[in-house]
Amino acid sequence: MPDLCISGLNVGYGRATVIESLDLDVKSGELVTVLGANGAGKSTLLNGIMGLRPPRAGSVTLDGVDLAGLRPEQLVARGVVLVPERRELFGSLPVEVNLRLGGYRTGAPAKSLERIYGLFPILAERRRQKAATLSGGEQQMLAVGRALMAEPRLLMLDEPSIGLAPLIVQEILRVIGQLKSEGLTIILVEQNARLALSVADRGYVLEVGRIVLEGSSAELSADPRLSQAYLGGAADYAAARDQVYVD
Amino acid sequence: MLDTLLFLIADGVTNGAVYGLLALSLIVIYTVTRVVNIAQGEYVTLGALSFASALSGTFSVLSAIVAGGLAAFALKDIADRHLTGAMRIRIVLSRALWIFIVLATAWLANLLPGSYWLAVLASLVAIASLGALIYRLTVEPVSGASPIVLLIVSVGVYMVLHGTAVLIWGAEPRSVPPVVEGGVQLGPVFVTYQSLWICGASLVAMIALYLFSERTLTGQALQATAVNRTGAQLCGIPVGVAGQLSFAIGAGFSALSGLLLAPLITANYDMGLPIGLKGFVAAALGGIVEYPTALVGVLLVGLTESFSAYQVSAYRDVVVYLMVIPILLWRNAVRPPETHGN
Repeated sequence: MPDLCISGLNVGYGRATVIESLDLDVKSGELVTVLGANGAGKSTLLNGIMGLRPPRAGSVTLDGVDLAGLRPEQLVARGVVLVPERRELFGSLPVEVNLRLGGYRTGAPAKSLERIYGLFPILAERRRQKAATLSGGEQQMLAVGRALMAEPRLLMLDEPSIGLAPLIVQEILRVIGQLKSEGLTIILVEQNARLALSVADRGYVLEVGRIVLEGSSAELSADPRLSQAYLGGAADYAAARDQVYVD
Repeated sequence: MLDTLLFLIADGVTNGAVYGLLALSLIVIYTVTRVVNIAQGEYVTLGALSFASALSGTFSVLSAIVAGGLAAFALKDIADRHLTGAMRIRIVLSRALWIFIVLATAWLANLLPGSYWLAVLASLVAIASLGALIYRLTVEPVSGASPIVLLIVSVGVYMVLHGTAVLIWGAEPRSVPPVVEGGVQLGPVFVTYQSLWICGASLVAMIALYLFSERTLTGQALQATAVNRTGAQLCGIPVGVAGQLSFAIGAGFSALSGLLLAPLITANYDMGLPIGLKGFVAAALGGIVEYPTALVGVLLVGLTESFSAYQVSAYRDVVVYLMVIPILLWRNAVRPPETHGN
């Protein structure tokens, strides 16, 4: 029984259809990555699942329960939580308040807060600082921490590595790995294929709104089509940069 | 000369305290929902008139209308097919309790006419609930709309509420007793106790709102919705409920100012609009987002009004409304509009 099951999903903006009849499933406890270039529709896919951009067709079910038509806050109540690409933090509020608000539904118990501070000790040091004054990496940690405060069953991460220094990316990757080992189901959307495949069980490759390739991380890493598109050839520079991230 | 000056200052501060409650209402509502609420003054009117009713022992028709509206939305909420059984029971219980409080306070005030604080409670509960209801009825269906659409909606709400006040209470003004009769001689100036009550209540309401926003998770959720609506949704904060809450707070604060002000000017169906607009002028000084600047604004508006009433009494409202032009020019110079909000 798959945890999350998406079939025939259509999501678009205005007259443009961005995601077209997309099928994807994630089993309980799995870490699945969705890879693709800029504009492939990765964020739109997550926004569609999350109800920020209500799908036009298709179904999304979690453990057999239909999620279609639910508002974001109702999805959070069902354990579906998104860390958006733009992070969407509350910049003028302190770090700790941001975290507490992540646990709005559960009343933000102190032990959840302690757990986040355990995962990201830097946030504990910055707890009284306004979120807007944090560095990019710290903001990403805060975004992940805030999402975890909601006690998700399915965590969706939208390009958590974007624009961050390799050391910070390692830190976030370490936490993602730890969450996976604790049994959390995760969808990791990335442009950085090598990075994502290094932690994922399986992956999908998205191109202009359609899945063009899928398989286990090992298969995808070895697939010449993927390495041409994302890991080598024209993307030499990206590959070189990725090398630094992974090794 | 000095006596006159002090009198005008005392008068201006009292006015300012009233506009302060209005400015707070406008800011809470605008930051959370993006509605520039033209109808804000009507809650002042309805607060004063329903208070007058409750005090005289007449069951307020408005309480019945509000209870009916709440019941209608409760049915709509219960019909949501996504709800689990436990959620449905929680909704039924919470809505039943809400409706019960609205009716029970109105009924008790009816049973015990002349009981001042019971009448205050009944009218505040009714008007705050009306605010939440107005949000659900008029703002929620278009909550993604641009601020100009929301503003036009609020003009419509103004017309309906204004008409409703005339329909229920008629055009006759009603005299409303003060909390305590009389006043006190402060040096050369005689200040009515009611003025002191207005200033005190305004101050307490502001402090209460501050503590609520800073110290409670619900208050922080309200701030979060104001700072970043998408972020709030992703945290599982029901932004619709936050909107209702902001309207309830705004309506309640305005009703409070109305029922406290009524003894000084008599309660009538037309009292709200100028008060709402002056609150708006004050709030505009802070871009309808900054509380501290708005408080400077309310003192400025209150004092300008009392001084212009003394110097050029026929034009006192004109002078106050004219202030909005330099205020907007100044706002635009210090901070362009597009940097507001997020």
